[in-house]
Amino acid sequence: MATNPSQLLPSELVDKCVGSRIWVIMKGEKEMVGTLRGFDVYVNMVLEDVIEYEMTPEGRRETKLDQILLNGNNIALLVPGGMPEDTA
Amino acid sequence: MSDDAAPDTGAAKTPADFLKSIRGKPVVVKLNSGVDYRGILACLDGYMNIAMEQTEEYVNGQLKNKYGDAFIRGNNVLYISTAKDK
Amino acid sequence: MAEEDTTVKEPLDLIRLSLDERVYVKLRGEREIRGKLHAYDQHLNMILGDVEETITTVEIDDETYEEIIKTTKRAVRFLFVRGDAVTLVSPPLRT
Repeated sequence: MATNPSQLLPSELVDKCVGSRIWVIMKGEKEMVGTLRGFDVYVNMVLEDVIEYEMTPEGRRETKLDQILLNGNNIALLVPGGMPEDTA
Repeated sequence: MSDDAAPDTGAAKTPADFLKSIRGKPVVVKLNSGVDYRGILACLDGYMNIAMEQTEEYVNGQLKNKYGDAFIRGNNVLYISTAKDK
Repeated sequence: MAEEDTTVKEPLDLIRLSLDERVYVKLRGEREIRGKLHAYDQHLNMILGDVEETITTVEIDDETYEEIIKTTKRAVRFLFVRGDAVTLVSPPLRT
């Protein structure tokens, strides 16, 4: 009862995303899409070929970045596979 | 091999590997407030505190300030990015 | 002179090398201060002397909707800065 052998740890799910596109939704009006290269215990993430989306009153602002270390502190959600239009 | 955790990368690049690889290189540091700092990364620590040289401060894409040396406190850092030009 | 290690191995070394010098500190909420750095700790709590604080506020004019940027300055003899409010510290330019 104490351990569920079928359970997949959240960090194991993130580990399965290494090498693939991932969609990161931050706390606040910001999202990023990139290829996950690695991460640590705080889920700080190394991302490659990143597009940063900032939702501003003037609309969505996009910034392209080669390689970043994203601070895990402000991450709200992770979606494996990238954005819907990104994968399509 | 098919359900290996890292299918198309030889070795995963962890945050520690990334930080090692960008020392002395031009970087962009973005804070949660949206302010960007461009400069040469001198060093950093485990809190993501950063020491930068030839630092330029950009607010909404506009250059606002220049600092010879700058210490940026890690808790405000959103990301550290490689920069091509500087 | 000989005892002082002037190499920067970690970011906090930059602060250590600025002791007894005037530093520029940026804080959350558009606050900026300049003062002589007397002491600091690993959280970046700092004791500054002969401080000039600059507060910048942006107000929108009710009628014209123009942005009005106001800066207020005040002098403080001595103050304690709580580290978690700090976003950036810049030492004086070394020549």
